[in-house]
Amino acid sequence: MKRVTAWLGEVAAPPLVFFALVVVAWQAATSLWEIPAYLVPSPERVLAAAGEHVADLARASLMTAGGALCGFLLSLIVGTAAGLVFSQSRIIERSFYPYAIFLQTVPIVAIAPLVVMWCGNGFGGVVTVAFILSLFPIVTNATAGLKRVDASLVELFEICNASRWQTLVKLRLPNSVPYLVAGARISCGLSVIGAIVGEIFAGYGAQGFGLGYLINMNTGNLDTAYAFAAVIAATLLSIAIFVAVTSLGATVLARWHIAAPRNDTTREALATSTRRNAR
Amino acid sequence: MSMSVRCFAGMAALLLLSTAIGCAPNDKPAATDGALVPVTLQLNWYPEAEHGGYYAAQVHGYYRDAGLDVTILSGGPDTPVVQQVARQSAMFGVVNADNMLFARAQQAPVVALFAPLQTSPRCLIVHESSGITSFDQLKDMTIAMSPSSAFTHFLQHELPLEGVRVVPYSGNVAQFLVNRDYAQQGYVFSEPFVARKAGGDPRVLLVSDLGFNPYTSLLFTSDALVAEQPQLVEKMVAASVRGWQKYLESSTETNRRIHDVNPEMDLDILAFGAEAIRPLVLNDDSRRLGIGTMSAERWQTLAEQLIEIGQLKVAEAQADRAWTSKFLPQQPADHRATTD
Repeated sequence: MKRVTAWLGEVAAPPLVFFALVVVAWQAATSLWEIPAYLVPSPERVLAAAGEHVADLARASLMTAGGALCGFLLSLIVGTAAGLVFSQSRIIERSFYPYAIFLQTVPIVAIAPLVVMWCGNGFGGVVTVAFILSLFPIVTNATAGLKRVDASLVELFEICNASRWQTLVKLRLPNSVPYLVAGARISCGLSVIGAIVGEIFAGYGAQGFGLGYLINMNTGNLDTAYAFAAVIAATLLSIAIFVAVTSLGATVLARWHIAAPRNDTTREALATSTRRNAR
Repeated sequence: MSMSVRCFAGMAALLLLSTAIGCAPNDKPAATDGALVPVTLQLNWYPEAEHGGYYAAQVHGYYRDAGLDVTILSGGPDTPVVQQVARQSAMFGVVNADNMLFARAQQAPVVALFAPLQTSPRCLIVHESSGITSFDQLKDMTIAMSPSSAFTHFLQHELPLEGVRVVPYSGNVAQFLVNRDYAQQGYVFSEPFVARKAGGDPRVLLVSDLGFNPYTSLLFTSDALVAEQPQLVEKMVAASVRGWQKYLESSTETNRRIHDVNPEMDLDILAFGAEAIRPLVLNDDSRRLGIGTMSAERWQTLAEQLIEIGQLKVAEAQADRAWTSKFLPQQPADHRATTD
């Protein structure tokens, strides 16, 4: 109980206070300078629009969450696989890595229509765009995690005659987990952006509609308050996915990995012992 | 060395001075140029045939004759034309009638002045090979139309569209060309032409035939400009009307200008567009009352349609405040009585 109150005070309170301040300033600005609703709707109007369309917003958020999570999971699988390959062969890494960077620099808005042409409209198209956008951080982090292993540990494995496979599974893979978790935390937010861009270009057709559709429709008919509500729903969705990924990552690290905060001493001990052994 | 440099510098200075003096008499017309009122006109899309009359007024000097130095700003997808004009960062803008009603519903103080395209060029294109000849035959297919456009919601509301997947429009005809069970939105003088040229078999279904027919390529401005500079607004409208008349008579020079500013539009598609646009500009009303005329009934009808399809709220609809015909030149008296 004490821990919960402490958490509320230290972790939850500052951002909430900041949020409240922003809302108050926003409301004050819109009424003080009489900013018209078609330029910037007041929080009051956004809240009213959200209340009026709450069912549609919820349905759209679920749709978008589906597209984003599928794209994100796909990028986790493919990105880790690519990292594994890159970590095993320098020549493969040198050949393909520049093209992985291409993924990061590609203007997604420009290629989204092409993706739609290749993968078709509907759920598949949305997932593909989300996947493309969220892949890069996973590839780089997985590669880095698999390669940046403590040199003394690699030596230790060599001394013990460990096979390449054993080094990969027992040393490189565990070493990559915190990197992967960090990559996933970056990626999961990108996947929501990707899904929304995908929805604006690909749509779900008869399967329903996502937040991208609501944003697009309401900027079209100038219902800025409803568009803002949809944007905020997208942000909340990103935050929810981010929190889920982060806490899942923390659990994984705490269970299996020496890099978890509490186990710093173990790691230090291990490091010194290996150094001693190396000598 | 230093001598020659100094010599050169001296000569250059002399040269500059002489050109400056030489230029002085030529500056006279430029001085009257300075008297032209700078005006900005924000388009809602990349320059195309549907903006032809405005470019014609610029190319043929009608704006200049009216004392206006008009800069036409290209638009694109999601250009916030209404917002730009409402907050007066552009003086005039070009949008369609449905945008005007949405704008007024959000208390954006803008007003339509002139409606060159009486018939909306909005259409769907289907494959001739599909055998589809009317809207009610659209079923079990994919239709690409933008959710940000009111006509999309109108079609979805009006038609059964059994087994139809409505997807966003990507902005080109590529998918139409490769997919048999595919229809898409278009402007009657643009996408069908492009699709045909690329070897497709487009058949045009005009959305206006279903009764959804917002005035298109409207010239509009802010309430503030109407109140503060009515003469300027009147001149702008009159010169734009002349421009549209000219564009219907002869579009060659204007199309060359449009091609210059938007090279994607080839001269042949623009020539086709200028021809195809004529019946959209000239209908019974505009032949009788002049190019660009507007009527209260049509604005009211559009507002009711937008309300019916759930895009506009009854309480927010202000059809009568979205437009004015008082700046249109030479309106017969009986017409004024019916519209004002």
